Amino acid sequence: MMALLAQVAAFLAALWAAPHLGALWHALFPALARPTWDSQSWFTLLGEHLLLSLGAALIAAAIGLGAGIFATRGAGRALRPLLDAVFALAQAIPPVAVIALALPLLGFGAAPTLLALVLYAALPVMRSAVAGLDAVPPAVLDAARGTGMGRAGILARVELPLALPVIQAGLRVAVVLSIATTAVGAVAGASCLGTPIVVGLANGNTAWVLQGALFTAWLALIADRALRLGLRHGARG
Amino acid sequence: MIRFEGVTRRYGDRAVVDRVTLDVPDGSICVLLGESGSGKSTLMRMVNRLVEPSAGRVLVNGRDVTATDPETLRRGIGYVIQSVGLFPHWRVAENVATVPRLLGWEAARIATRVDELLALVGLEPGRFRDRFPHELSGGQAQRVGLARALAADPPLLLMDEPFSALDPGTRRGLQAELRTIHAETGKTILFVTHDVEEALALADTVAVLEEGRLAARGRPAELLERGTGAPVRRLFGEESLAFHRLATLPASTIARPEDAAGDLPILPAEASLKQALMLMLSEGSDRLAVPPTGEFPGGTLYWADLVRPA
Ligand SMILES: Nc1ncnc2c1ncn2[C@@H]1O[C@H](COP(=O)(O)OP(=O)(O)OP(=O)(O)O)[C@@H](O)[C@H]1O
Ligand SMILES: [Mg+2]
Repeated sequence: MMALLAQVAAFLAALWAAPHLGALWHALFPALARPTWDSQSWFTLLGEHLLLSLGAALIAAAIGLGAGIFATRGAGRALRPLLDAVFALAQAIPPVAVIALALPLLGFGAAPTLLALVLYAALPVMRSAVAGLDAVPPAVLDAARGTGMGRAGILARVELPLALPVIQAGLRVAVVLSIATTAVGAVAGASCLGTPIVVGLANGNTAWVLQGALFTAWLALIADRALRLGLRHGARG
Repeated sequence: MIRFEGVTRRYGDRAVVDRVTLDVPDGSICVLLGESGSGKSTLMRMVNRLVEPSAGRVLVNGRDVTATDPETLRRGIGYVIQSVGLFPHWRVAENVATVPRLLGWEAARIATRVDELLALVGLEPGRFRDRFPHELSGGQAQRVGLARALAADPPLLLMDEPFSALDPGTRRGLQAELRTIHAETGKTILFVTHDVEEALALADTVAVLEEGRLAARGRPAELLERGTGAPVRRLFGEESLAFHRLATLPASTIARPEDAAGDLPILPAEASLKQALMLMLSEGSDRLAVPPTGEFPGGTLYWADLVRPA
């Protein structure tokens, strides 16, 4: 936990310091006239990046949870293998390919990025919801029906609370996948930590590419670390 | 009052309950007795529509159960399920309060009722109210299950092997408590068990199920009369049938109206002949004094008389 906080602090300090390290970037990239990324604040980019990732994770959570609930009852049970295959396929398509395919339909910006991220992150939520709901003991469901609870009541008051720990693990995976993948959105013009990479590539400015790549990778590592910590915590609690 | 009219339940082409017709009169305890897989739970679960009959119908108080929507029906019928099934994420008090909450009782009324019920099933409210199910022993959990079924004071109770997971001592204790509760509340109880002693200890009437069919029914003493059918003999065991029969006969009926001479061991008049036999064996005496109670004028019970009705 302390190590994670220290890393977050170091990351934020580096974001703040990057624009002030002109001397360093000049020394590393003597051929470039403007090696320091200063068109946008790194904190703005980070904010937009997180907004995009968390927004996508939220949508993925709603879709994954809905599908998981549907697949564990009534008519949905028969469709479970199909649903699972569809979600697995959606995740198997690389997000950058989804963006490329969606661009003509959705245009530039956040929309195609959100779509790619949602497709990528919905699978773990769906699977965890199915696993968690499946694990509710049949005797408990029987008691719930026997006491006269309705379907909605059983879902809201018995099944979801009991499945929550498993679902939470799936949600964490979705959030982290999303944070670690959002940078590709820069290809579609979505403003995020990946933006300096794309802009740098377009202008032949390797210094910007390096700075963007550095912070994107670092954030993904932090997210991954937070996930591991969270999963261990979840398993214990 | 519950009435099964030609009730059948098929799974595939196998009838696991087969044309059962049975009445459970108001205020009585009817025990469904049968081997594992004989269809006891299935028959019982048709009363609160957890299972729907393939043919025939089930009436509660003269009304076909399918005329009431399942949720409303179930809130009016206490159900103790075979595997306890407490809600693991709720405290004991919330578990007990399940049906009152569904019925929209006020919080204060629910709290009073919960404490009342915990005391009734022998759990000190102060100690148990706030525990989670995993903090209970098996017997305590079954008591909470019973309290949950009794919570909204339903006139009808369905109990599916409620004491099956318990040691014999705890089990007898809970059977005695159930009889007390029954005597105090006059509820109609349908009780499933495959334990013949439990059936004899509790039943007003016993209904014997064999492969889904009603093989025999009657008061325990009737059921165990000499010449009873093969299913009953099989279930109670040929060699111990006579012993079980003793359990169904009250000692007062064969006591001789003599004043007890000397200091004989004392047997209460409402005890069964089985208890009389046990007392004779443990005291090494062939006579017992039965003191007067109510209508019974008092008398002496002889070993020779006891072995005759068996
Ligand atoms: N949903 C179901 N689908 C198929 N078969 C079932 C179903 N429910 C019960 N059965 C079968 O019906 C038969 C009777 O089951 P039931 O649970 O009523 O028996 P039981 O007398 O309560 O047994 P036990 O004492 O073991 O609880 C069994 O052979 C069982 O396998
Ligand atoms: Mg059963």
